[in-house]
Amino acid sequence: MGRVTLALALSVAIAHAARSSEVAKVPVQTFELSNGMKFLAVVRPELSTVSAGWVARVGSANERPGITGMSHFFEHMMFKGSRTLGTRNIERDLQIVEEQEKLQEEIRAIYREQRERYRLGEIEDPFADEAKPERLLELEKKFDTLVEEQRALMVKDEFDRIYTAAGASGMNAFTSEDVTVYFVTVPANKIELWFWMESDRLLSPVFREFYAERDVVHEERRLRTESTPTGEFEEVFAAMFWQSHPYHWPVVGWPSDLRSYSLAQAREYFETYYAPGNLTAALVGNFDLEEARALAEKYFGRLPARAPAPDVVTLEMDARAEKRMVAECDCQPQVEVRYHSVPFRHRDSYALEVLAGLLNGRSGRLYKSLVLERGLAADAAASQDSRKYAGAFSLQAEAKGSASPEDLERALLDEVRRIVDEPIPERELQKVKNQITASAYQRLAGGFFLLVQLLLYDGLGDFQYLNEWAETTLAVEAADVKRAAERYLDPEERVVGLYYREGGER
Amino acid sequence: MSTVWLVSVLLAQAPAIPARPEELRFDPFHFEVPDAARYRYELPNRVTVYVVPDSTFPLVSLRIQLRQGSYLDPVDKVGLAGLAGSLLRSGGTESLDPSAFDEEVEFLAARISTFGGDSRSGANLDCITPVLDQAMDLFFEMLRRPRFDEARIAIEKENLLEAMRQRNDEPGDILGREWDWLLEGEDFYRSRRMTKAHLDAISRDDLASFHEKFWRRENMVVSVSGDVDPAAILKVLESHLTDWPGEGAATEWPPPQPAHVPRPGAYHVEKDIPQGTVVLGHRVPRWTDWENPERAALQIMDHILGGSGFTSRITQRIRSDEGLAYDASSSLSFDSLGPGSFTVSFQSKNATVALATKIALEEIARIRSEPPSEEEMATAKASLIETFPRRFESAGQIAGTYAGDAFIGRSHDYWKRWRDQVRAVAPDDVLDVARKYLKPEAIVFLVVGKWEEIAPGDADGRARVSELFPGGVTHLPLRDPLTLKALP
Repeated sequence: MGRVTLALALSVAIAHAARSSEVAKVPVQTFELSNGMKFLAVVRPELSTVSAGWVARVGSANERPGITGMSHFFEHMMFKGSRTLGTRNIERDLQIVEEQEKLQEEIRAIYREQRERYRLGEIEDPFADEAKPERLLELEKKFDTLVEEQRALMVKDEFDRIYTAAGASGMNAFTSEDVTVYFVTVPANKIELWFWMESDRLLSPVFREFYAERDVVHEERRLRTESTPTGEFEEVFAAMFWQSHPYHWPVVGWPSDLRSYSLAQAREYFETYYAPGNLTAALVGNFDLEEARALAEKYFGRLPARAPAPDVVTLEMDARAEKRMVAECDCQPQVEVRYHSVPFRHRDSYALEVLAGLLNGRSGRLYKSLVLERGLAADAAASQDSRKYAGAFSLQAEAKGSASPEDLERALLDEVRRIVDEPIPERELQKVKNQITASAYQRLAGGFFLLVQLLLYDGLGDFQYLNEWAETTLAVEAADVKRAAERYLDPEERVVGLYYREGGER
Repeated sequence: MSTVWLVSVLLAQAPAIPARPEELRFDPFHFEVPDAARYRYELPNRVTVYVVPDSTFPLVSLRIQLRQGSYLDPVDKVGLAGLAGSLLRSGGTESLDPSAFDEEVEFLAARISTFGGDSRSGANLDCITPVLDQAMDLFFEMLRRPRFDEARIAIEKENLLEAMRQRNDEPGDILGREWDWLLEGEDFYRSRRMTKAHLDAISRDDLASFHEKFWRRENMVVSVSGDVDPAAILKVLESHLTDWPGEGAATEWPPPQPAHVPRPGAYHVEKDIPQGTVVLGHRVPRWTDWENPERAALQIMDHILGGSGFTSRITQRIRSDEGLAYDASSSLSFDSLGPGSFTVSFQSKNATVALATKIALEEIARIRSEPPSEEEMATAKASLIETFPRRFESAGQIAGTYAGDAFIGRSHDYWKRWRDQVRAVAPDDVLDVARKYLKPEAIVFLVVGKWEEIAPGDADGRARVSELFPGGVTHLPLRDPLTLKALP
């Protein structure tokens, strides 16, 4: 008895919460410069800081074979300084960059021959130290001399030091398949520093240490992909899942491409994708809006307008054959079942979010069924990944005891079938909606977190998503969820990754 | 057209853009440390509560901290405190079975969790204001009248066993375990690990009696932040805490100190991966004197040496100059309950592990041999002072900072002194503390990676592990994930 009353009281409370304050929204001011650069601003006078950043609408999906990983590599290069920052002698510095490039042209010509020798079976690895011809070693030595000369003139990591000394924190960036985002938090009295620093690196970037930075990115790849239990297989799985779409290759790029980029390619990339019309900046915190607007004109107004960046035109092909990956790794036996679904802001993406909500959580269907009732899994989860150009819905589970990845796969498919075949209880749907109502507030609370969402959503299509997702998702009905599950989670169209413990029983 | 006109007017009025960012002038920004007394309360039953109201959003956070944790585990039941904490959350309550409890919590869209540390354990509640009363009812029923449901205990144990099986999968997990053992020994409460035998030995009675004995009002610190009225929330808290046991459990505090004496030198665990993952460093003494100005000098040293990203020496040399690692940093951590540590961490391809290590050792030697430059001092000080207000940026941070003080027994005045202490540090003070606290002769070096590639060093012959650690390398065995006994 007690429980029923309690439950009733709860739904009343939540309904009241939703009514009294409507759904949480954040007032975002926007303006655009004549060069096409867009600004979003949220004033929060209670803060002692301003979190600020910008997004370039470019990611690995904009790349092509030969330059995979360029967007991410670029993100690293944007911290290397400008004509003003990073060197004591800009004239000589720029000369050295050009001299280095001439040597690299020769080096690239030798690698062209190396690849030929590799194709003919004369060498095992075109990039191996022991396969380097004498001429290449000489060029590398000359190149190293230039690097040393440039370093003697350099002011190391000056970009970082200036921000650090000004009391900035959290300065960083990230790259995804669709966007590249740069951000930092500065003391509330120093927003002009942010305008100075960010417009400077967009106005006159100098890609110093271009070739040395490739080594850092290689280490990043070793760290994230090659030295983790499942990293390399996740790469294989993604490449298998995305047949024609550029999501096929990893954000960090294929290693052979990473070793072959030229400065000319990087410059072309910058001109195309870092044009002001392809950028959105955002500020969240304690500042004066009119002052920010004037500073935006003054600093970012200096960037010349350029032609719009090309669109990604390749669409994903319909699946024609069943795809299953079988992997052995130092990992818990596990499975992923992935389906092609819909991109960011697609009308069905909201129903798929609700579907994931029904499946997730301690009281969600996957945990109840796979973990509690059937004892097959230690953990299970579902997610809708809405990217800019396409999306995927994924079900994952980690085995427990003697359960095999195939057992998990069957159990996951059972839960999808139940969604399609059986009615969804009203209370269960209400629970997911209550969580959306609460999450709508939680997502707005932190200044920095709000900034990242604004940039990410605007990079994917439109920042307004932040203010519309809760309302749109709350309008989803049981029938919408069932229809979305039936349409996108077709068992025939699934792509499956099965992971077994290396040396374990099969 | 009108936009263009507006822009030109603004440009005409605005001062020109300075050639360098240092030439920018900023309005002063005054920050005063919020007065802790405004937020501090003591309930009639002697529980300390911090309430920091903020009604910007209809959100409330509540946190309870207790002086208990794995240091109270019996030697044959390592993991008991942690398991008691997780079953408290997942094992249901007297009136609600586990599934019903989860259902109620998730229907309210509340987040209820427990945490179990070495010496600090507790519970968190986050929810929207309209459901606060109901969420608190559930939260306190869970904390005071847990069910410890047998079926959930079995599931939690199975899950822990699966987690144990993964102990040798991630290089970082192997590194962390062996590092704790090298520094503090295998039996110390902070470094010991649960085995299958420990797990099998823990019964429902053990969990229930651990809860009865150690989840008490004594030494409890509560913090609340968000959309609440202090007077109202204090009344509710008091009523929820009345039937809790108060004084009585004579727990040892502070927890014991490690008996183990670390043996300096080089250690290695074999793993077939392309990149070695490395930690090197040593213990630093337990820190209890929060007025000691050396603390500020040490934070500046840490900032300059490897604690502040690209601006710090170790990151610059290993990552920016040499491209040897993606992540390379150092960290000096102090603990008021036991030894702290000084560590340098990085991951580098096997062949350049020795070279990156050599550079890290050079930088440790350098900071002990000459004072930092004026520029480095100025950057570190400005950064520490100007980022300081961020510690008090939100109601949640203020509540967390002051509740943390109360937990470890530190005066809130620490924060009032802090910026002046940083300002007063001279370059020679940094040199002095570096010489006093960094101990090259005590360094323990540990790498997880492929030894046949690590040992020869880099292709140019710039460094080899055997030259850096002439005492030789101890190859540590991989451990059986369930027994932690050495594998052949």
